[in-house]
Amino acid sequence: MNNKRIMSLITALIAASALSIVSCGDSDDDDSKDMQQPVISNKDIVENPIDCQVYHRGETILFHYIMTDNQELGAYNIEIHNNFDHHTHSTTSVDCEMDAKKTPQHPWVYNQDYAIPSGLRSYEAKFDIPIPADIDTGDYHFMIRLTDKAGWQQIHSVAIKIAE
Amino acid sequence: MTTSIIATALAACVAGGHVEHDDSVIVLHDVTVSGQHQRDFQMRMSQSAVQVSKEYLQQNFAGSLSQTLEGIPGVKAMAIGSGQSKPTIRGLGYNRMVVSEDGIKHEGQQWGNDHGLEIDQFAIDRVEIIKGPAALLYGSDAIGGVLSLYTNHVPTESLNGNVQVFGRSNNEQLGLSARLGGRSGRWFYRAGATVIDYADYSVPTDSIRYYSYWIRLKNHRLRNTAGCERDCNLMLGYAGYRFHTDIRISDSYAKSGFFANAHGLEVRLSDIDYDHSRRDVDLPYQWVNHLKVLSHTSWQSDNVRMDFNLAWQNNIREELSEPVSHGYMPQPDGTLERRFVKNTLTANMGLSINLGECHELRTGVNGEYQHNRRSGWGFIIPDFKSSSAGLYAMDSYSVNDNLKLNAGVRIDHANTTISNYHDWYMTPTSAGDSVYMERSANADRRFTSFTWSTGINYATGHWVLKANVGKSFRMPIPKELGADGVNYHIFRYERGNADLDPEESYQLDMGIHWDNDVVFIQVDPYLNYFPNYIYLNPTAQYVEGLQLYHYTQAKVLRYGVEAQVLYVINKHWETELKGEYLYARQKSGQKKGYTLPFSTPWSVDAGVKYSFQWHGNTFVGMNAHFVGAQHEIVPPENPTDGYWTLNLSAGKQIDVRNSKINIALHADNLLNRRYYDHTSYYRLIDVPEPGRNVSIKVGLEF
Repeated sequence: MNNKRIMSLITALIAASALSIVSCGDSDDDDSKDMQQPVISNKDIVENPIDCQVYHRGETILFHYIMTDNQELGAYNIEIHNNFDHHTHSTTSVDCEMDAKKTPQHPWVYNQDYAIPSGLRSYEAKFDIPIPADIDTGDYHFMIRLTDKAGWQQIHSVAIKIAE
Repeated sequence: MTTSIIATALAACVAGGHVEHDDSVIVLHDVTVSGQHQRDFQMRMSQSAVQVSKEYLQQNFAGSLSQTLEGIPGVKAMAIGSGQSKPTIRGLGYNRMVVSEDGIKHEGQQWGNDHGLEIDQFAIDRVEIIKGPAALLYGSDAIGGVLSLYTNHVPTESLNGNVQVFGRSNNEQLGLSARLGGRSGRWFYRAGATVIDYADYSVPTDSIRYYSYWIRLKNHRLRNTAGCERDCNLMLGYAGYRFHTDIRISDSYAKSGFFANAHGLEVRLSDIDYDHSRRDVDLPYQWVNHLKVLSHTSWQSDNVRMDFNLAWQNNIREELSEPVSHGYMPQPDGTLERRFVKNTLTANMGLSINLGECHELRTGVNGEYQHNRRSGWGFIIPDFKSSSAGLYAMDSYSVNDNLKLNAGVRIDHANTTISNYHDWYMTPTSAGDSVYMERSANADRRFTSFTWSTGINYATGHWVLKANVGKSFRMPIPKELGADGVNYHIFRYERGNADLDPEESYQLDMGIHWDNDVVFIQVDPYLNYFPNYIYLNPTAQYVEGLQLYHYTQAKVLRYGVEAQVLYVINKHWETELKGEYLYARQKSGQKKGYTLPFSTPWSVDAGVKYSFQWHGNTFVGMNAHFVGAQHEIVPPENPTDGYWTLNLSAGKQIDVRNSKINIALHADNLLNRRYYDHTSYYRLIDVPEPGRNVSIKVGLEF
């Protein structure tokens, strides 16, 4: 092979790859892909629970929130755990008055995954969660986690207190 | 984008440019002093490769090795907090690139998010970076590229050495490194030690906001990111005319704190008084110790060269944190969250034969055995052992001095055996009872991969043109195959997939090089396709209260380019412009249309350097580093704004009788700008990058 032929071969290769790069640059971009997180809100409802509420053992907690997404909702989870060690604070800027730190004896652990019917952009969740009568009283975190179908997640954390 | 960077680069070059970068020093020497050397290197392999000298490493010392190498287009340091960072090549890191030391693949817990390289950067004589697939010689994992470190330079004098002291202002780092080496007849030795100690990092912000949690920082310090490092090594060898053998023992220890307010991604409050000292390390923290024994033997005749490498690596790593209950896990005893002990045995044999004038045949076998044991109350990867063997052959055919062709094939077989793991606490089931949940099942997987590569190098006039096309692969790691549990660090439920196939990657690389006495141009475009990229997909589903991330395989297309232009204006002034761009798209699966996690945004560096004497070592340089915004994201990432920083560097060399004193000064982020690095692990919790930082290093060579 002479130099010229090799040069032209390489130039052709470079040009071909440059072309392929440019051509596939925009062709397969999917503008419809979901780039937004879902939202946990109180739109048109009175949401519950909210920060600093006090509940009593044996009662129920009304769960009432609106979940929305720009494309399609996924699933949600409610998790309640103790905050006896004051390990975190809620996702809102409110500071509730907290009991003294203590060691859990029989703390309430609640952890439930919930499905949302497919194809929805808006979903209203409303039901009661019974509070067991034999759990430790004190400060708890009520965590709401919500996904959309694309895998984006929103977290909402509420600080509540369980009393006698 | 691709073309605009090249165009900008060329335009700036033609215009003479008012801009340049500090790390042109060495490259520039290559251009002006040894253009032929640069050309020889470019002709040596058809892949895109960069050679980094010891002087470059010394003058650009930036904390960690990966950070030091960041000045090289295509190479990034993925910051993981404190002094630690992981290298990435063209956006691929973790198990998608290989770090090798003297030809032996470095084996730590490289899948992990929060630890760097367990290697003494001051022991390194030179670095070769292969950008692109290098499976042929390196086997599994060499998809993104190879960071090849060499520490085996043979001393030429009876006694030489150096002592270096260095410091950084941002985290009040202090360090000392000393080397000694000598040769007596055919025998030689080398010894070295490094100690580094640093305080908490400072960031240009007084608070961090994450999910609307407000974390206030005292004196702009990232709480508990202090740490220390201690390394030592000893090498003994015999260097004869045909026969060479050496043995090297090295040990590297590092301890560093995790940002106290967010261990992993969980926001936490603690009773520990982190603010009483910024130099101490409290919980949570990690330590790692890497012991390596490496032996290298070679024999060569006129036409045959044989190499034989043997290595044993012992990597122990612990993460310690305050015990807290999580979900159904009660508060554990003790602070040991995770401990990994990994032993790796490696044996490589290589044979290189010159067949006449034109052909050089290289062939070899690699074998590796890994044994990994875990403990601690946090589960993330199961115990496993794996063994692998590879066989390759490659022919380099020199048509003439200006035209070289190469082609090679390789076959690998690996066997991974995973041991099951059950929780140490009970979890209630839907049936109403409680069980010790199985988080990883027993599994035995065998993988076979066939890979190949072929390329061409062509030089004409001032040009060197290269093209390489090849296939590389990666064996799935036990975490990808066998994980099934909560990763509390990132607050997600991760589920492995025992059916994963070896990940394969095809890549076309080009290299365009042009230089004369005053201009140096390098452009490296590439096109990369994965038929089955292993991707940890965030799903819509919840498992045990956390979002399920599931390992899947998807088609992925990536392409990009690195470009660099150097221009010597006169004997005092030099300018440089360089940049990189990377595009990645998932082409199938649930995230079709999305990019890959931690996608590198485009960046451009413009710099100017003034040397006080022609080819001297006394200089002052300024550099502006521009990074584009990144809106290409996947859950759970946030878009990141673009930014730019201004950086200064200066160096001076003083000759004192038979020794030399080197002074290197760096001032990074001079304007103390607050910005986020999209590829930083802490980006996910909105921790900005370090603020202004001045580092100085004084070295005495004798």
